[in-house]
Amino acid sequence: MALRRAPLEYNRLWQMRLWLFAVFFFLYAPLVALIAFSFNDSKRNTVWRGFTLNYYKKLFNNEDLLIAFGNSLTIAFLATLISLVIGALAAVLLWRYRFMGKAAVEGAFTLPLVVPEICMGVAMLLFFTRVLPWPNTLIWPLNLGSIIIAHVSFCFPFVALVVRARLASFNKEQEEAARDLGANDWQAFRDVLLPHIRPALIAGGLLAFTLSLDDFVITFFTSGPDTITFPVKVYSMLRFSVTPEVNAASTMLILLTIVLMVFMMVMQSRSQKKA
Amino acid sequence: MATRTQERRLAFLATALPPIAWVVVFFLVPLGIVWAYSFGQNQGLTEVDISGTFANYARALQPLYLQIFAKSIFVAGVTTLLCLIIGFPVALAIVFASERWRPWMLLLIMLPFWTNLLIRTYALIAVLRTEGYANFTLEWLWNQGSWLMTLVGLQPLGDFTPLQMLYSNFAVVVGLVYVHLPFMVLPLYAALDRLDKSLIEASLDLGAGHFRTLFSIVVPLALPGILSGIIITFVPALGAYLTPDLLGGPDSQMIANVIERQFKRANDWPFGAALSFLLMYATFAVIAFRAYAARGKPADGHGI
Amino acid sequence: MTDAPAKSLTTRTSRRSILKGLGAAAVGISLSGKKYSAWAAAEEPKLNFYNWDTYIGETTLEDFKEASGIDVNMSLFATNDELFAKLRAGNQGYDVIVPGSEFVERMIQADLLEPLDHAKIPNIKNIAPEFITDAPYDPGRKYSMPYTWLVIGIGYRKSKVKEIPDSWKWVFDSDAYKGRIAVMSDASELFRNCFKYLGQSLNSDSPELIKQAEAVLAKQKPNIKSFHEDNGQDLLLSGEVDLVMEYNGDIAQIMAEDDDIDFVVPKEGAMKQSDTLAIPKGAPHPENALKFINYILDAKVGAAISTTIQYPSPNAAAVALMPASYKDNKVIFPPAEIMAKCEYPRYLGPEFTRLLDEAMTRLRAS
Repeated sequence: MALRRAPLEYNRLWQMRLWLFAVFFFLYAPLVALIAFSFNDSKRNTVWRGFTLNYYKKLFNNEDLLIAFGNSLTIAFLATLISLVIGALAAVLLWRYRFMGKAAVEGAFTLPLVVPEICMGVAMLLFFTRVLPWPNTLIWPLNLGSIIIAHVSFCFPFVALVVRARLASFNKEQEEAARDLGANDWQAFRDVLLPHIRPALIAGGLLAFTLSLDDFVITFFTSGPDTITFPVKVYSMLRFSVTPEVNAASTMLILLTIVLMVFMMVMQSRSQKKA
Repeated sequence: MATRTQERRLAFLATALPPIAWVVVFFLVPLGIVWAYSFGQNQGLTEVDISGTFANYARALQPLYLQIFAKSIFVAGVTTLLCLIIGFPVALAIVFASERWRPWMLLLIMLPFWTNLLIRTYALIAVLRTEGYANFTLEWLWNQGSWLMTLVGLQPLGDFTPLQMLYSNFAVVVGLVYVHLPFMVLPLYAALDRLDKSLIEASLDLGAGHFRTLFSIVVPLALPGILSGIIITFVPALGAYLTPDLLGGPDSQMIANVIERQFKRANDWPFGAALSFLLMYATFAVIAFRAYAARGKPADGHGI
Repeated sequence: MTDAPAKSLTTRTSRRSILKGLGAAAVGISLSGKKYSAWAAAEEPKLNFYNWDTYIGETTLEDFKEASGIDVNMSLFATNDELFAKLRAGNQGYDVIVPGSEFVERMIQADLLEPLDHAKIPNIKNIAPEFITDAPYDPGRKYSMPYTWLVIGIGYRKSKVKEIPDSWKWVFDSDAYKGRIAVMSDASELFRNCFKYLGQSLNSDSPELIKQAEAVLAKQKPNIKSFHEDNGQDLLLSGEVDLVMEYNGDIAQIMAEDDDIDFVVPKEGAMKQSDTLAIPKGAPHPENALKFINYILDAKVGAAISTTIQYPSPNAAAVALMPASYKDNKVIFPPAEIMAKCEYPRYLGPEFTRLLDEAMTRLRAS
């Protein structure tokens, strides 16, 4: 009995482990190639020519690339924050209330998911040149405003969708109980609902961050002279060559993320130990 | 009671106003402009005269474009199905992992997707192309196999012909699955996370096998998440144009490529708008239907 | 016409000028973009340059800043269509752009460009005369100055071809290299070079010719491995294909990395192009833009740029300063007899563009 695994420990199954291994291998093999190529001694990303750290040096000296990178991260961060708020509110709205025109509102929230990116890009371009001109003389990060707004518009439905799926499993009686005990609406929301949807918020936030970080079609159309982002810069390299500098930048991003996560893990386990 | 209703109203407005206002101003208005364009025609090179014509839609409904629509829907459908099959066990694994491991696994799934799409695609090309890593590995294995055969005394295997994995519809599907996998895993994880594990235990105790439990208990309970995942994967896959451009063969033209060309090279914004909106109406209809169908079912595991 | 975007732009730029405290500009709040010369003296030392990536010398922008005190901010775009799509809704603050010749013609027709004051560009004398006299897309160079020029041809791997593929036949009409060919995916570039193969001018606008070309290409499609998106040189370099339809400049760049690669312009003739410098209407710093264009046309500066990007240069004075490895390079400067057969593509109107695009859609769907 002691040797058999417990029925729910799926992760001990060798089939599961094999599957996970295969999936992660599939996901990471190209990334390993990418990191390897960042050391490639060639202007192009195609054939291996030799080892060099040149491109890392170039990366740290390449102000444009670093600024573009910085812009991308800022936009993604701000857009994710706003998307989380609006997406969560949208999900709660649709889940909790019944009102006139609800179907239309629901449709309007789902529409951004369905619009082809280039159509959205052109729509935003027209909007920000003809309807609401966004002055591009504002200081950073406000000058990124038009891009952030466009990103929120297409990111928040993803958050809303994920949160809504999560809300479907929420037991309304818990909230009623809290109210009966004297909490007002805001407290009920904060202390009962919010913790329940936390995984969905995390998942939705990650999704929104990814979408925003990687977007270039919509960003291209809404960006002005001073607001270049990383994907736009990379995409514009298509004509001549995607140099290994870009690989170096991506490698750094991966490293940075891992470092951040480790840091957060350590912080979290520390606070848990204290508690 | 008056203050209670007032409080309720306030709560409602606070919840409703921000998203609705945002959607109207920063989405419906811009989209409305393009929608109006779809009823217009080009006037000169830069202006569009909104004349209320249906010519663009008529043109978009020709067999040539409908055929491309159908093909794109098929490719996106295959991609979504593959993502579901591959992603479901991964989501399960994350849910059943211990608290310590869970964030790491989530991170590991997301990490590839914080790398720029173009670079990732180039990396995928480096792996899959004729002189790429996959073929190098296969060639090495082939040669080892050949050597083993000679050891045993059999004829060695012939020359290794590299697999042509790129520039075909197969490559496009691989690329799309590669890009869209986390879009499937995350909603699945979010929905499965609150799964009452005691239900699974009960089912197993009662004698149902693992797969039966999976399909009768887990799937119905996670259905909202599965549907979200399907929508979040299918729709962007349908609208993808960079992956088919870079990885596809001469046959791999998707509707998104055609739409992109209209807004750029062909400089025919009204037609591009008409194609986009047709795509949207169709996708929207599918989503609405699913939402309607799913709403009728109680989320308690009875019958599907 | 496009007054609405111009007005919104001037509101932005006049805000900037007011912030800078230049009194003269306060008058110009309601000026439309056309009256820019009135506040020429009030321009701040900045320039927004909208260019292709790495399409400039390594130190050109810093050198310009040293020489004139003007700070250049270079933004990037990836294709001519994107440039046009973005500008057609209104200029968002760009001063100098780098459109291809076919798009210059489109933009002139769409009234998106400012005429250039040649008196302020004395370095125009450095340009090889044929780029002034033979520029059908911009007669007399009223709106644009040539920056580079290019010609489309066939890049090939020497060890994999039986003979020099100096005819379009090998790419469009033969299965000798089945599965080892890559062609361009742009409708205009692909079809028009096919017109040359069929013995016609690439500016003929007959719908029958389009149908003919489509038939030829549809027949050849099973032999084509990929319709590349301007990265054909990478396909050739990595050994995916042996024949690629590409620009001479792109192939010249990879020839530096691989000796086994060469380039030839087919004997039927091909499409030539020229990337140009132009000033879009509503540019916030038009005087600086003119200074910048003039600076680029300087001989030494042009030579530095050509050293970096290795594209053919229309700047005769700059070419004279380049080493023989560049000047005598037959790939960068194909022989005159074959260049005589090459033509610039003209913009033939929206109907022709539509027919071409539909033919391309049909070709890809077949």
